[in-house]
Amino acid sequence: MVREFTLPDVGEGVAEGELLEWHVAVGDTVTEDQVVAEVETDKAVVDVPSPVNGTVRELRAEPGDVVPVGDVIITFDVEGEDAPEEDAAGGDADTGVSADAGATDGTDAGAADTAGDGEAAGDSADAGAAEAGPSGNGHAGGRVFAPPSARKLARELGVDITTVEGSGPGGRVTDSDVRAAAERTSDDTGGETELKSAVRRIGDDEGDGASAAGDGETASEGAGAAGPEAAASSVATGGTGAGGAATPEAAGRERTLAAPATRKVARDLDVDIDDVPTDEERDGEAFVTEAAVREYATAQQRAQAADTAAMAGAETAGEAAAADAAVTGERERREPYRGVRKTIGEAMERSKYTAPHVTHHDTVDVTALVAAREKLKPRAEQQGVRLTYLPFVMKAVVAALKDHPVLNTSLDEENGEIVYKNYYDIGVATATDAGLMVPVVEGVDGKGLVEIAANVNELTAKARDRSISRDELRGSTFTITNFGAIGGEYATPIINYPETAILGLGAIKERPWVHEGEVVPRKVLTLSLSVDHRVVDGADAARFVNTLKEYLEDPTLLLLE
Amino acid sequence: MHGAREDSDTMVVGDVTTGTDVLVIGAGPGGYVAAIRAGQLDLDVTLVEKDAYGGTCLNYGCIPSKALVSATDIAHDARTAEEMGIYADPAVDLQGMVEWKDGVVDQLTGGVEKLCTANGVELVEGRAEFADEHTARVVHGGDGQGSETVEFEHAVVSTGSRPVEVPGFEFDGEHVLSSRDALALESVPESMVVVGGGYIGMELSTVFQKLGCDVTVVEMLADILPGYEDDVTRVVRERAEQLGIDFHFGQSASEWEEAGEGVTVLTEDEDGEVAEFGAETCLVAVGRRPVTDTLNLEAVGLEPDEDGCLATDEQARTEVDHVFAVGDVAGEPMLAHTASAEGEVAAEVAAGEPAGLDYQAVPAAVFTDPEIGTVGMTAEEASEAGFDPLVGQFPLRANGRALTVGESEGFVRVVADADGEFVLGAQVVGPEASELVAEFGLAIEMGAQLGDVAATVHTHPTLSEAVREACANALGRAIRTLNR
Repeated sequence: MVREFTLPDVGEGVAEGELLEWHVAVGDTVTEDQVVAEVETDKAVVDVPSPVNGTVRELRAEPGDVVPVGDVIITFDVEGEDAPEEDAAGGDADTGVSADAGATDGTDAGAADTAGDGEAAGDSADAGAAEAGPSGNGHAGGRVFAPPSARKLARELGVDITTVEGSGPGGRVTDSDVRAAAERTSDDTGGETELKSAVRRIGDDEGDGASAAGDGETASEGAGAAGPEAAASSVATGGTGAGGAATPEAAGRERTLAAPATRKVARDLDVDIDDVPTDEERDGEAFVTEAAVREYATAQQRAQAADTAAMAGAETAGEAAAADAAVTGERERREPYRGVRKTIGEAMERSKYTAPHVTHHDTVDVTALVAAREKLKPRAEQQGVRLTYLPFVMKAVVAALKDHPVLNTSLDEENGEIVYKNYYDIGVATATDAGLMVPVVEGVDGKGLVEIAANVNELTAKARDRSISRDELRGSTFTITNFGAIGGEYATPIINYPETAILGLGAIKERPWVHEGEVVPRKVLTLSLSVDHRVVDGADAARFVNTLKEYLEDPTLLLLE
Repeated sequence: MHGAREDSDTMVVGDVTTGTDVLVIGAGPGGYVAAIRAGQLDLDVTLVEKDAYGGTCLNYGCIPSKALVSATDIAHDARTAEEMGIYADPAVDLQGMVEWKDGVVDQLTGGVEKLCTANGVELVEGRAEFADEHTARVVHGGDGQGSETVEFEHAVVSTGSRPVEVPGFEFDGEHVLSSRDALALESVPESMVVVGGGYIGMELSTVFQKLGCDVTVVEMLADILPGYEDDVTRVVRERAEQLGIDFHFGQSASEWEEAGEGVTVLTEDEDGEVAEFGAETCLVAVGRRPVTDTLNLEAVGLEPDEDGCLATDEQARTEVDHVFAVGDVAGEPMLAHTASAEGEVAAEVAAGEPAGLDYQAVPAAVFTDPEIGTVGMTAEEASEAGFDPLVGQFPLRANGRALTVGESEGFVRVVADADGEFVLGAQVVGPEASELVAEFGLAIEMGAQLGDVAATVHTHPTLSEAVREACANALGRAIRTLNR
């Protein structure tokens, strides 16, 4: 029997999801609840479980497809009903089991067979899953089932075909699988420049705060900091030596000896063979090898990329992407606005266009807090918890919210009511590869520092490896964004709507400070609090920050909480 | 050959140095393919051959032996077709047969030469040896022909192999024949002792037995055709015995002596018991060894292993990056078609293309009676590789076409992976097995499943239906045989 399986409603109000990856291939045996696919929706990546024990019959969507909820994405052959080949496999895999079942069941041979098959199929599914893990398409003997044309393409694109997941019948690797893998690889290994750009993009997002996104000021700071570094790193890998970003010098000879194959390579790489530096000579003429041509071409491209990146570094965003573009020779690059990126964008739009933002900045001397944390950190470690500053700030925020409840609210526009919350669920903006997520630590008022630290560590880890559930991503009453972890002093965070306030933390830095009448070096933290001016006035914001500062300046006050 | 001679006439005296992108040494199926492919890729190619274009394959191996196998079969089949109502006793003139065979060979070697020239390959006659990493000396045959030096970017070593001599059995072309000698005999010997029951020994034994020669095969091992499964070799051995070939296994040839017009071959079994086999002549076919001893390989920084082979990577490169080795010099399997595949890759890699040897399976054929064709894994090999083998088999006596050609011995067997039902290998023994195996080769390379082959409509009435039925049998749904 064939069972169709539709994309389930994976989250509230989600109408569609982007299929990220299949964990199974046609012909794979699956057990109920085994994860068959990863789907990205709204703000989370959701594992889609198999509803049945059976064999994958057909995959109806490709990774990258945006699938509406309710569409059939996969079909299964359900065991015991229309899969004769399973009988043989079952018997082979574990005859012991079917014999046992037969003995138990006595006369009912049919039932015994079915039981045997079920068990055996389960076994083989396990074995299959274990195998498929490391090797990609998981066939015995390291054998890849792919037509010669696909293998040739893999060689040409520099793809290790043994790591490519096949989408063809039985997991056969097709041309398009190879191409897709090549694109992924070039994304992954676009070099350090690409890596940096990813890190910085997250930094930008985090700077904006809670539900994330494009705050101009923070973004420009982040970009300014990362720009030159990205440029430098792209050159450092160039291997042309101490010259750094300098363009490799063109030799500019009039005549060059080279094999025809070398000349062809030069033509293909758009390199003038007379410009390729060489020490080799034949018959008194400069002789250029293919390796020299390739090296020169690579050095040239890197230098160009570095130039572009350095220039772009001064701009507000995207210099690393520009460096990529320079490497590939593109003037611009388009990527789809969808998935988590689009969700962040829409949330930002709604927040910024709905709630009139005002941002209050202040600076606080946290020398005592630093000392307190230094003292408590080893104790926390004994309990297996890494204690950062964040739990202190969260406790201080909750204490200040109790004094200034108007910042722990949301505006119910429909009913025309301001909702005051007597619970303190604090959102913590977290950078992940997929973009910004805001896991929520519930009931912070009733938890100690160590418990909060443990909660934060667990939730942020789950957000980063995308195993976080939607429930853990919603319902916060107030949000903290720690953009200072990336860099910068002040930002204008965007509120995690419909909350009415968000606190941005700069970096804790040592700076000259007037302390007890003298200018001395002190540990100082910068604060940026954005509020929804419809609900919260500037004065409320200032008063809240003043209270917060008291707790942060003297953390012993938290003992009274 | 003649064209090359004219070239060398113009450079008779002294050492002339020429430059080339690719120097190919040896014009067998590895070398000439490498040279042609390199020429197609706009490389400047020099192909050096000391003997005859086409190498062993065209001149002393595949082609001449198959010519004789087929010609012999015509006479033999006519003689044994009484069942079909045919009564005939054709006279065979071996000299005429050999001349016809030589004509076929000439046509093919001439074709090779023309193809090389048409692709801009410079042909040089002589024996090449390395002088240093980027130069080789080519010594022209004959006195006063001199030598020349070739400077190269890349070299392709494709010098092939030569028959192994058993100690005490040096080839003399009269009493002790190599396979090459046997293919050029002018008359059929009355009797022959064949030392070695491998594929060369078996093919030639069959030919000579069918020509009326009394053949005795002495083999050191316990069966013919080492490396093939028992049920495969049994079909061939029983047929050979039926033809009158006498087999003696576990006998290792130790020496021979002249006996009147003929020879007496002495063998020893593992207990040291000596046996004597008398015959008009003796053919020794105990394997082949790469020709790497004439190349002065040290000069280029290479050393062959103890079997005389050069180790290569999946781009046919030796340990020295710009030197490739293709064909028999690169070791087993010593097959013309792998030599050609390697030659093509070597040329493409030399031209800077990302080529590689990534075939999944290499087919092999033995032209005995009946033929054997294999490709990919046996069931045992599949198990060893970690697969759960799923096997399907179809007997040729259930194939209509096999009965109409009067050859119904043998079977078609397919080995697949029980999990994915991918075709992994096949063993065919029977008429046209060498052709039938090609379909399995394609199936393996394409990653085809049993169901793909079984769902392909095959022509009726043909032998190829057995291929489909074997795959269907593995799936438990063959029509014309009982499913296991």
